[in-house]
Amino acid sequence: MDYATCHDLIDAHYLDSLTTLALVAELEEAFDVTIPTVEIIPANFNSAEAMWTMVVRLQEEG
Amino acid sequence: MTSYCSLLYLAVFLPAVVLIHRILPQRLRWAALLAASYAFFWSVSGKLLVFLLLSTVSIHHFGLWLTVEQQSRDNQLASAAPPDRKKIRQRFTRRLRAILLLAVLVQAGTLLTLKYAAFFSTNLNHLLNALRLPVNVPVPSFLLPIGISFYTLQAVSYLTDVYRGAIRADRNLARLMLFLGFFPQIMEGPICRYGQTADQLWAGRPVTWQGLTFGMQRILYGMIKKIVIADRLNLLIKTVFNDYTNFSGGIIALATVCYTCQLYMDFSGTMDVVIGSAEIFGVRLPENFRQPFFSRSISEFWQRWHISLGAWLKDYVFYPLSMSGPLKKLTGAARRRLGNHYGPLISGTVALGVVWLLNGLWHGAGWHYLFFGFYHFVLILAGSLFEPVAQRLTAFLHIDRTCLPYRIFQTVRTALLVCVGELFFRANGLRAGLAMFRTMVTDFSVEPFVNGGFLSLGMDKYDFFITLVAVGLVFAVGLLRERGLSLREAVAQRPLAVRWPVYYAAFLFLVIFGAYGVGYVPVDPIYAAF
Amino acid sequence: MKRNLPLLARSACFLTLLCALLLGVSYLFMPKNNHKSFGVSDGELLANGILGEKEHSIDVLVIGDSEAYSSISPMQMWDERGFTSYLCSTPAQPLYDSYRFLRQALGRQSPKVVVLETNAIFRPYKLNDYLLSRAKNLFSVLRYHDRWKALSVNDFGKQLDYTFTDDLKGFRYNPAVAAASTKGYMQPTDHQAAIPALNEACLQDMLALCRDSGAQLLLVSTPSTLNWNRARHNRIAAFAEKNSLTYIDLNTMPDEVPIDWARDTRDRGDHLNYAGAVKVTAFLGQYLQNAYDLPNRRDAAHYHSWNDALDRYRNIIKG
Repeated sequence: MDYATCHDLIDAHYLDSLTTLALVAELEEAFDVTIPTVEIIPANFNSAEAMWTMVVRLQEEG
Repeated sequence: MTSYCSLLYLAVFLPAVVLIHRILPQRLRWAALLAASYAFFWSVSGKLLVFLLLSTVSIHHFGLWLTVEQQSRDNQLASAAPPDRKKIRQRFTRRLRAILLLAVLVQAGTLLTLKYAAFFSTNLNHLLNALRLPVNVPVPSFLLPIGISFYTLQAVSYLTDVYRGAIRADRNLARLMLFLGFFPQIMEGPICRYGQTADQLWAGRPVTWQGLTFGMQRILYGMIKKIVIADRLNLLIKTVFNDYTNFSGGIIALATVCYTCQLYMDFSGTMDVVIGSAEIFGVRLPENFRQPFFSRSISEFWQRWHISLGAWLKDYVFYPLSMSGPLKKLTGAARRRLGNHYGPLISGTVALGVVWLLNGLWHGAGWHYLFFGFYHFVLILAGSLFEPVAQRLTAFLHIDRTCLPYRIFQTVRTALLVCVGELFFRANGLRAGLAMFRTMVTDFSVEPFVNGGFLSLGMDKYDFFITLVAVGLVFAVGLLRERGLSLREAVAQRPLAVRWPVYYAAFLFLVIFGAYGVGYVPVDPIYAAF
Repeated sequence: MKRNLPLLARSACFLTLLCALLLGVSYLFMPKNNHKSFGVSDGELLANGILGEKEHSIDVLVIGDSEAYSSISPMQMWDERGFTSYLCSTPAQPLYDSYRFLRQALGRQSPKVVVLETNAIFRPYKLNDYLLSRAKNLFSVLRYHDRWKALSVNDFGKQLDYTFTDDLKGFRYNPAVAAASTKGYMQPTDHQAAIPALNEACLQDMLALCRDSGAQLLLVSTPSTLNWNRARHNRIAAFAEKNSLTYIDLNTMPDEVPIDWARDTRDRGDHLNYAGAVKVTAFLGQYLQNAYDLPNRRDAAHYHSWNDALDRYRNIIKG
């Protein structure tokens, strides 16, 4: 499966909750942001692109 | 009315509501749904209706209170100088948290009292006796909170969503009442989010021909699952579980598989009736099942079985907990030492433990439910711990993880593990569950299946035959759905000469092979009792 | 509206066909005879024995729950009075079943008197069960669907032919004794017990059925210390008066029906035993014959089957 182009990582259940947790920790460390619980919704994690958009937004709000 | 599968609901109540809904203009249709919802719940229990009303008013109030605080925070933030903003934010966050906590305590407190007071005081008495203290607390008995377990989760999700700013509190009390009390879902869920259903319910969409026919087809399908399969299996299950000491391991294994099947058919069948009912009114409720027995792991199973409960626990317990300050620090530290697979697993484990404790408890006050939760917690954790090992092992053995035999192996293994869990879930107490499990493992033989002993447990060979046929049908429909095909739409595209016979056949199948009438005891939907 | 019309017509078509289909299947599933082996349920076997009686041969029809079949013996009345009677009573009979048995019996019989044992009037039932019963009356496949396991070639296109009848004509012989306490039994009160609204509606339906077929409805309360009391008596008396019915309460007639509660009950006052039934039947037979001018048919030629049954009945009660 191709993580770069997949658009339903959550909706198609590729990511379970424990994996999501690891991903959040990774993102937080790599981009130095804090991801609040509100942001953990399928729309923000369904694709690499969506995650990037979220990270950028959080950095700006920072 | 205690069942969505009753004649009273399907042949009188539902058609009456559809008729009224059709006559009313769009802006008044919500009133028909609301009145129907409260009439429905009144027929379940007059006392609980009072509770529902009072509780909804309090939720409405708490929601607005949160919004008022949020608005005054935003106003102050806008006019404050940047350096002060952090302070303002902190002050308001504390207040908002306190309000949310109070609101959730009020909601959950009621549920806890109704559902668990007896369990805790009984166990407290056992403890006091064990310590030889001459004190006993009274064991209270309250009315059964039918549907309240589902209602409370929906209420808490609404309040939390308002608190998080994901939705705005509803000023319209009637819309909130409808969201929390919509009659198809009040007894057994699905547990809906405000964002999923509130607007749909309020919109007053017309009853369309397609909605009506699709809804009725779904109801019929659900009825077949519930009345042909689940209620028929009930005969055998009751015999074996209530008298488990008299049976050998083979029979207990059979009863375990039958119960797992019954629970699925009962619950998912009722969900079909529920979702079909809502579909008639143009309301799309979230799905609660997605062919769970095609799962390849326990973790996947819980993303396909009682989805709305799993999602609720994930969003309102798992993430908030695992992302809270202390656990987040733990994750950070652990990742550096253990890497990105095992690192987050530590705080994840803590949060997961709480999730499964709550999942067990939510089903009811009883040690066997707690054990059921713990069992699945251990299985999911083990799955995650051994995942890297399994990956290496299969690579070493040159097993293609995507090949069909391996996938079937995974699916069967998962289904068997689920069955064992359901054995404890159904057993009359934890002690009975453990005893049955022991018998099943130590005293297993195929003898009762060879000499026909399994045919004397309340189900004869005809019963088994028709159950297998019906399960086969449900399996085939599930298989189609796994491939992305919807049977309903496929049939709907056929000419009338094909469609009508299909509908008639399904209806007669239900009427003839349903387990109802003389010799059968009507079985109330299992999940309504949770 | 114009676009809706074809849809409406189509759904009407669909439903009509569905009903026709259900009726067809109902015929298929109906027991073609009233013997047990044809699929009549255990509980209703004896009550359905009336189907095997010759048409228009029954003078008195009795409807009710277990109180009726424990207290009234048609064979004794035949022996002593010479008129025919039959008990369509089943255990814990809900009133909608009373209605069904009444309707079924009136289809083939034209009794002069219908006796309703009053205990069933107070047995509450759920609206859903009532609806289900009505649906079953309409489509008997709903009642007999479980016969799919035993369906045979004979069920296709065979005529209905009822050949079973009960020698005891619905009465159930039970000589057991378990003495009852009479403490508080029929204590005076002005209170009236409530009849559930659904039961009241069902009663009215039964009244109408009797009226249409020219049968007189007689309300009878058989003796029971557990089930009967003054409040129920008051309510039934008021109901009878309002609907101009005759009501006799054997609980209030110790001179005519001298029940000895130490000997005449089989389960501590819930039901009478055979000794109690003899007393009730002796009085009731006399009362019915006098009040309704019932004929004595003991010597009529075509009732010889009843005299044969009487011989067998005597053997049974001899023990």
